[in-house]
Amino acid sequence: MELYIKGIGCVSPQLTYNNSVFLPEIKKYAGKHMMCIEPDYAPFFDTGSLRRMSRVVKFSAAAALTALKDSGITQLDAITTGTGYGLLENSEKFLTSMAGATGSVLSPTAFIQSTHNTIGATIALITGCNGHNNTFSHKGFSFESALIDARLLAAEGAKHILAGAHDEISEKTFALLDRLHAFRNNHDAALNDYEKGSNGIVAGEGAAFFILSAHQSEGDYGILVDNTIFYHPESTVQVKQYIDEFLEKNNIGLENIDVVISGINGDTNSDKFSHETNHLLFAHQTIALFKHLCGEYMTATSFGFWLAAKMLFTQQVPQSVILKNRHRQPKYILVYNVFQNDHSLMLLKAC
Amino acid sequence: MEVYIAGKGIISAIGLNVGETLHALKAGISGIGTQTNLLNRHDNNLPTGEINLSNAQLAAMGGLNADYSRTALLSIIAAKEAVANACINLKDFRTGFISATTVGGMDKTENFMTAFIRDGELKNIDQVLYHDSGAITELVAEQLGIRNFVSTISTACSSSANAIMYASRLIKTGVLDVAIAGGTDAMSLFTLSGFNALMILDEHLCTPYDDNRKGLNLGEGAGYIVLVSEKVAAGLNRKPTVKLAGYANANDAFHQTASSPEGKGNCLAMQGALKMSGLAPQQIDYINLHGTGTSNNDLSEGMAIQRIFGEHVPDSSSTKTYTGHTLGACGGIEAIFSILAIEEKLIFPNLRLKTPMKELNFVPVTELKEGVEVKHVLSNSFGFGGNCSSLIFSKVN
Repeated sequence: MELYIKGIGCVSPQLTYNNSVFLPEIKKYAGKHMMCIEPDYAPFFDTGSLRRMSRVVKFSAAAALTALKDSGITQLDAITTGTGYGLLENSEKFLTSMAGATGSVLSPTAFIQSTHNTIGATIALITGCNGHNNTFSHKGFSFESALIDARLLAAEGAKHILAGAHDEISEKTFALLDRLHAFRNNHDAALNDYEKGSNGIVAGEGAAFFILSAHQSEGDYGILVDNTIFYHPESTVQVKQYIDEFLEKNNIGLENIDVVISGINGDTNSDKFSHETNHLLFAHQTIALFKHLCGEYMTATSFGFWLAAKMLFTQQVPQSVILKNRHRQPKYILVYNVFQNDHSLMLLKAC
Repeated sequence: MEVYIAGKGIISAIGLNVGETLHALKAGISGIGTQTNLLNRHDNNLPTGEINLSNAQLAAMGGLNADYSRTALLSIIAAKEAVANACINLKDFRTGFISATTVGGMDKTENFMTAFIRDGELKNIDQVLYHDSGAITELVAEQLGIRNFVSTISTACSSSANAIMYASRLIKTGVLDVAIAGGTDAMSLFTLSGFNALMILDEHLCTPYDDNRKGLNLGEGAGYIVLVSEKVAAGLNRKPTVKLAGYANANDAFHQTASSPEGKGNCLAMQGALKMSGLAPQQIDYINLHGTGTSNNDLSEGMAIQRIFGEHVPDSSSTKTYTGHTLGACGGIEAIFSILAIEEKLIFPNLRLKTPMKELNFVPVTELKEGVEVKHVLSNSFGFGGNCSSLIFSKVN
């Protein structure tokens, strides 16, 4: 079932929380990570609630509420979210208190807010939504699963669905992954560096939420036509086959795809399939990247989806994301992402 | 479009497979006891429902590396049993693996992290590699030979009920033909300390639905069922006898950890499942309660049941009196108990119940009932964050 994108909200390492602009200037990050530019939370939450919320809860709930406000919808029927790592900061906080404690009773606050469904639950509480509430936590399929869930929900009759994803950089997990040599220095975040590739990724984080509905109305951003996941393909030939089948199922020829938003993250090993697929299938499409803007994280495709929605709405492909072939107007956009063995496709089109 | 149950696999404190589990359920043998090899470091010797096998023993059983998280080791054992029980060649169909977990690889991470936080100790850093929930699912999917469709749900204690629901919806819409769905959670100090901090752990064996209940006992385990489409079911040699007739997911939207006193979310989940199944409340023969044993859960759930079923509440019991609360796995484990109730014509007792709750007009079953015609079972799973899910399993006519 096709879903109309009725509202968007995105907090990321770029200035994206303001829906009235579209990547006005690119913030460059020189280090191994990029962290969110957070909005002023005062319009979203009262001081009491703010004190209790961890950083990811704040920026994710703010992104969700931005999407809700943007859509003009007051009552949600369902909430479905994805998160790769869940609430790392709160988990680490509780682990730290466990490490320091010797038999004493620990404070449960961090534990309570460490469950993966904390954000989905918080949004349900704020919006008073008693409907379906799901949280997927599966690496590079977390946001993708939430989108599949949203499409099923719409087919089952839910009118307005909030779908989104969130992941945060936390101090200890970052330090550990750094010791495991997961990261590289992001010298100037130039697109060419991402194409050329080296070892390691630049860590990112963010939250992006969308109001989706099977019903069209004025001012929709665009349409999610379909999305799919495929775990652990054996070869690029098999990836090509999956992409062909996916487009065929949706009655779209490869030549109809104008823009491919590619999940290339600049790590040579991670990007092998993306490069080969670009070469094999997308010689004539505009190839756009996004991880130089938001960094790599398990739910980075939610930023890619935000980028696609913005492109469809404005009918512009910003210079800052184009890797090659700048000539095509965005009518059909295909997002192809690879996270380790998790491959995903999202097909969007203009209204 | 019906979705049938073609196989089941389970491991918990009361048995390493379906046969052992059924034996313990019938004999009224609880698996909750003092902590064994895993958690003897913990200061409070709280009773838990642990599986009395080391990681090395579990790894040998499941054919997985013993260094992996216990959550993955439990998962592979139950998932393999479910697949073998279904007698389906997974490669012949579009097969998905939909798992659920709350703790993921935390049992390994906490081991490493507490040492790292205390002394900056970096030895065994590779223990954090499979920390996230999805990593656990993928370790098991690889072992099962499942490619293509995998996913993981983490909605606290309703996780695996939601995984079963998601699997069914994917089959109904033709995305999948076959799905192995359920969940897994291993005992960890993280969850034990967390629930202890919340002061909802009973220092003695838990007594759900008792007026003097003091809290829950944590357990561990995994439970998976193999769901198949009508078309797949028609081609099976052994025809499925149970189907998933209804389900619903609702949110209480009341509090992060507590249920609303009237059990709004619980009520919505049960009503939604009933509506989908087309059954009237009085057609339900048995309710497998969420029944954790906390003051709050049992009251909210009980009030919601009373509201829906009125004067005629069917037989009910909390099988967490056997297994402890297995968190993200309980929806999968209790789905299997529900299916066994139908297949074996049994109603399992709510162990250790002495003084019925004074707020309720019904009392869970306290003795095993045998030879009962059980056609429809309602299974409840409610969790932190107001996540409430109910499943209905029905006998195939």
